[in-house]
Amino acid sequence: MNFMRSLLSRDRELSVLVLMTTAVTVTLMLTLGERLFSPTGLQSMSVQVSEFGFLALAMAIAMLTGGIDLSIVAAAALSGIMASLVMSGKFIPVTADNANFLMVLGILAALVTGLLCGLLNGFLIAKISVPPILATLGTMILFTGIGMAITTGESVAVLVPAFATISTSAVANIPVIFLMMIAAFLIMAFVLGRTRFGRKVYLFGTNEVALRFAGAKTERVIIMSYAVIGILVGLAGIIMTSRANSMRVGFGEAYLLQSILVVVLAGFSPLGGKGRVWSLPVALLLLQLLQTAFTALMFSPYAKNFVWGGMLLLIMIINHYVDAWRPRSAPKKSDGSDGNPHKSSVRDTGVVV
Amino acid sequence: MKRRSVFRRVFDRPMTLMERYLLAIIVAYVLVVTLKNPQFFRLETFFDMVRNGSGIMILALGVLVVLISGGIDVSFMAIAIVSGYSSVKLMKLLGVDNLIFALAVALIIGGILGSINAFLIHHFRLPTLIVTLGTASLFHGFMAIVLGTKTYTEVDVPHSLLAFGATNIVTITGDKSHYSLSVFLLVVIAVIVLTWFLLYRTMLGRAVFAIGSNEESASRIGINILRTKLFVYSYSGALSGLMGIIYFSGLAYINPVTLVGGELMVIAAVVIGGAKLTGGEGTILGAVLGIIIIELFDSTLVFLGLNASWESVFFGSVLLFSLCVIYYRQRQLNKRSLVFSSN
Repeated sequence: MNFMRSLLSRDRELSVLVLMTTAVTVTLMLTLGERLFSPTGLQSMSVQVSEFGFLALAMAIAMLTGGIDLSIVAAAALSGIMASLVMSGKFIPVTADNANFLMVLGILAALVTGLLCGLLNGFLIAKISVPPILATLGTMILFTGIGMAITTGESVAVLVPAFATISTSAVANIPVIFLMMIAAFLIMAFVLGRTRFGRKVYLFGTNEVALRFAGAKTERVIIMSYAVIGILVGLAGIIMTSRANSMRVGFGEAYLLQSILVVVLAGFSPLGGKGRVWSLPVALLLLQLLQTAFTALMFSPYAKNFVWGGMLLLIMIINHYVDAWRPRSAPKKSDGSDGNPHKSSVRDTGVVV
Repeated sequence: MKRRSVFRRVFDRPMTLMERYLLAIIVAYVLVVTLKNPQFFRLETFFDMVRNGSGIMILALGVLVVLISGGIDVSFMAIAIVSGYSSVKLMKLLGVDNLIFALAVALIIGGILGSINAFLIHHFRLPTLIVTLGTASLFHGFMAIVLGTKTYTEVDVPHSLLAFGATNIVTITGDKSHYSLSVFLLVVIAVIVLTWFLLYRTMLGRAVFAIGSNEESASRIGINILRTKLFVYSYSGALSGLMGIIYFSGLAYINPVTLVGGELMVIAAVVIGGAKLTGGEGTILGAVLGIIIIELFDSTLVFLGLNASWESVFFGSVLLFSLCVIYYRQRQLNKRSLVFSSN
């Protein structure tokens, strides 16, 4: 009980999340049992969760800086399209000799595309001061448009057979892409939690002006954050392409809502500066469990959407109450601010008289 | 005597930079397309654009009001479909075949859904984007579960809606075919006038601008924040309901799973027109011009010999360029007045 209490006071969002996940897991185990938790079931779940995991991680970084990235799915699709084009034999014919070379080239193409997409976002946000929602909305439309113009909306097939094995191979029955995702989480947890750069990302989300006055190059922080997002998105694009063995515009559009959902679920604040990478895997697990359960129960996509939307609102309402509830020893100082606290605080601190 | 431009006399304010810039783009684009393909510059094209664009024009005005209040609403497409489809279902169920009834039901449902948004946003102090993202899925999913997703073809669409969709103000008979200006234009004009009146001639409208500029100050001078937000979101919801009926009438085909997903394009169009995401700024003319641009690209790229897949590239570039113009100016201004936050 004491442990629970200390956990609850230390990280309330995470405790709510762990509680919910446990409840869902127990319920599903009782109702679906074997169907869900068989070795093959777990394996397919871990494959599905990994391509989404990279996108969720990217969205989490954007939210830490107080922004949001609406372009991640479009950029991932564009990266995948670039990789597929390299490996489609349309420009360089695929032979047995150059297959491996083409695969490396394709992976590079995807990573570079992702990075460029991220850098464009970072440039718009940092150097032009376009609000992240609008900048990424614009680039989302642009990236989709570029993909559309290149492919005319058709799917581009990959002709290098080795490429598909990225998503199918496994080490000790654990899919390789799942291990890749774990590695990405470990690296990002280290970078965000233990390095100067990570500290600056959190500070930027909390109070950008204070960070600037502390002498940090805030613009560089933003550009670097979005570059990291770009690389993660490129990786997501590679995995998506490898799983489908082809890529087309508009692939995985549902991931946008879901990635915002999972990041908010994990306790990241859309206002920035709050949230820990460690909570993300728990939220991902919860979402993936529900996803698999819905498929097993043959829910329609609309019913799924209904549950996602409801969950997003519910978790934010719960977090609102959890935030408002404080132990008696540390009463919350009422600041009397109404509505959007982020905006008013930025306005107040932004002007130096 | 100082001469005032036509624009100033009509609008009682100077033209904003974005409006001027959008107008220039539209004129240049129309010129290029006409030179390339004279087929384009005809009344028929214009009439077609009015017919296809009136729905999103109405939505855009709702989006504008929300943006001015400092929020962002991505649930309006879902609200349009839900209220339009529920209204049609109710007409089928009760056997009422009356346009006024359809509109009233759609407006009321839209208004109620919008006020749910407002309540969530205000009561739980949640970011508007995320709330409306959640409610969009929630509303649409709820409708699909409760009412199903059956489509109605022209035979089954209520006659009053078909008649509404086929009503024209002007019909011009050409040598081969005749084309006509849809009655939707009148609806759009009515909504524009209503929105203008509410925003610029009522206390409520001033309150919308005030909470968009600074909610804290607005509340200190005694503006009722909840009431203003209820107005903003239920107005946007009601307009979405109206759009739902217009959309179904115009198509003469009822499909409850279309439209959802096109929200961001409409928001983008309004943003091009100079509405700031931070609230308190935005003009009706700017929003209208933004929608005209999106419609132009949507319907006229074929005249340039480009296929429709280029639309997003064009529109995305224009959007990014306008964003750069708007926010780079703001940035220079901020630097001069020593404001250190980036946006």
